Amino acid sequence: MDLTAERLLGSASRLSRDPETEIDWDAPVGDGYGMSPEWSTLYGTPYWDELSEEQQRELTRHESASTATTGIWFEMILQQLILRDIYDKPARSPEFQWALTEIADECRHSIMFAKATTRLVDPAYRPRLLARELGRMFKTVATGETAYAAILVAEEVLDVMQRDWMRDNRVEPLVRTVNHIHVVEESRHMVFAREETRERLAGAGRGRRWVSALVIAIAADMIVSSMVGREVYVNAGLDVDRAVREARQNEHHRSLLRTSCANLMDFLGSVGLLTPAASRVYRRTGLL
Amino acid sequence: MTFVISGDCCSDASCVAVCPMNSIHPAPGEPGFGTGASLFVDPRTCIDCGACADICPVDAAKPADRSAPADVERNAAYFADREPLEATDLDTWEPVSYQVWGGGPRRVLVVGAGPAGMYATRELLLRTTAEITVVDRSEHLGGLVRFGVAPDHPQTKQIIDTFERLVRHPRVHWRPRTDAAALRSGGGRGSDGRGLPDGYDAVVHAIGARRSRRLGIAGEDTACTAENFVAWYNGRPDAPPPPALVGPGAVVVGNGNVALDIARLLLSDEEQLRRTDLVPDVRRTLAASGIKKVVLLGRRGPDQAAYTEPALRELLAVAGDRVELRYQARPTAWTSAGLTLDSGEVIAAGNLFTAIGFEGRPVDGLPFDAERGIVPNVRGAVVGRPGHYVAGWIKRGARGGIGVNKACAQETVMTLVSSSRGAASPGS
Repeated sequence: MDLTAERLLGSASRLSRDPETEIDWDAPVGDGYGMSPEWSTLYGTPYWDELSEEQQRELTRHESASTATTGIWFEMILQQLILRDIYDKPARSPEFQWALTEIADECRHSIMFAKATTRLVDPAYRPRLLARELGRMFKTVATGETAYAAILVAEEVLDVMQRDWMRDNRVEPLVRTVNHIHVVEESRHMVFAREETRERLAGAGRGRRWVSALVIAIAADMIVSSMVGREVYVNAGLDVDRAVREARQNEHHRSLLRTSCANLMDFLGSVGLLTPAASRVYRRTGLL
Repeated sequence: MTFVISGDCCSDASCVAVCPMNSIHPAPGEPGFGTGASLFVDPRTCIDCGACADICPVDAAKPADRSAPADVERNAAYFADREPLEATDLDTWEPVSYQVWGGGPRRVLVVGAGPAGMYATRELLLRTTAEITVVDRSEHLGGLVRFGVAPDHPQTKQIIDTFERLVRHPRVHWRPRTDAAALRSGGGRGSDGRGLPDGYDAVVHAIGARRSRRLGIAGEDTACTAENFVAWYNGRPDAPPPPALVGPGAVVVGNGNVALDIARLLLSDEEQLRRTDLVPDVRRTLAASGIKKVVLLGRRGPDQAAYTEPALRELLAVAGDRVELRYQARPTAWTSAGLTLDSGEVIAAGNLFTAIGFEGRPVDGLPFDAERGIVPNVRGAVVGRPGHYVAGWIKRGARGGIGVNKACAQETVMTLVSSSRGAASPGS
């Protein structure tokens, strides 16, 4: 573990990005898409085709802001999970120092996301009450592989979307830069989370694996279903009931999600966290 | 310090997709991808995050300080006359492309559970909601990964774990020991008139190219083909026993990695053999062969050789001066005395192995291009046979390593999904 941590610390010193100085926060924001339109929850539905291009753009900006807010929410959970995990570990170890570096990264990312959403749309988003309350509980009690695999799930789902958006020149340049910063630093975080998950699971019995796998799957469901809620459609001026209904049946979106999560599912499978119960949850959420 | 990709690279490009700095090339779509050589990490832009190593299915990506110096050099050399791609300039990345969902098939039959078939299955699971039936003649999945990759390369075989997880997916129905022909024509069930088996909307033929090409020389029938020898040393259940191994000399005709695998195993000493996954019987036979020297015969020059440089290096490390590389030599006849070349020279040898490539067999009911040994197709769709698709070696010829099948299967499934979409809503 320390070897990995040392390497990651080296990598961070090679390239860490500072959104404060790297992004010109006073520059005017254009009217580009908030995310690749194909990533919109409505893309590919009849409703999407009825919207004007301007409405489509507006919808993606709200969806992007809402997704980023989910990112902030989970980064807070994550910071607390890591802080609790390293609370009494030796401060001189690379593992400890890397953990604090990661917390610092996440802290900067959250500020960056918050500022970017302010520039992108007027309304502020927040995960729904149930997610917030479950998150409150999760960050207080989750430990070991449950904590690290949940971190991995959240970051990996976000990561794949952001890789698409950052390369897409239809997307607002501010969003592209923000996403690239997140992708670069997150790659190190995911390496760390995988390593920690593997290490914590070594020698775990079947019962513990079964419980952990299920908890992680439920956390994943909570995260993914929190990304875009009813409010987004309200603020984008859409027929909310219809939007929710069509988004829920949007196989295009589910297919994109499954594709994004393919590597993650391979990993969970390889460490024995794709138990039948967990797989059922992932299938319902549309990740498997 | 950076990460480095070794010659064991499978080129499935999962590392390309996770590199946050766009440092790994050639990426799918770039010149050089899919030709069999490995991928490389640009040391000028790599930030040492380790994402590539984490995802690599065959453990070929490693930190530079834990890699062979030759691998470090190869990675650097690949980029020597290329401009570094500045990852922060996001327009230097490949643009995104999406496949839009549009219905898709309900039931798909995948024939062959080798890498091409399994990558196609994976892609179908991701891109469609279809129920997928996978059949294979063998009782095992993995195809050439299990029965083609040399047993002293166990890391390459790790990908089988991923394939095994795929067939446990609830939408996948795995039918080992099943002949696809039974589903197509017999078994009391007919086809639907479009040449598709009953109940299937599409068939993906991923049957590979197993048959060894022939030299076409006198006496060749007593030589051992790569097809048979590789199947034997990998313990494939139905493999015919090899001819008696006769020392001290042997000739391997061929200049691909399979030829090098054969030469390497023939020349590995007992200690080296013990470190492999060989079944004890095979190991004992190889160790007792008495073969001390191997001539590796290339019919053309070293520049045309199909082997990769790391594979050659590995052979030389194992065999030293016990392997002789000969080029521009055309064999004309094989007898118990040895191999006669067109120059009149006779290379004394007790065994001849032929490893000059593989070719596909025709598939019942599908057109066949005998020249190239493939089923003629357009981006995976079989020409003139709607509903039939091909992936892997039967689609593009017997070239390219395991991972190349990923991009190949992706292309086929993309074609399948878009044409099934066209069929569902013509004119849309």
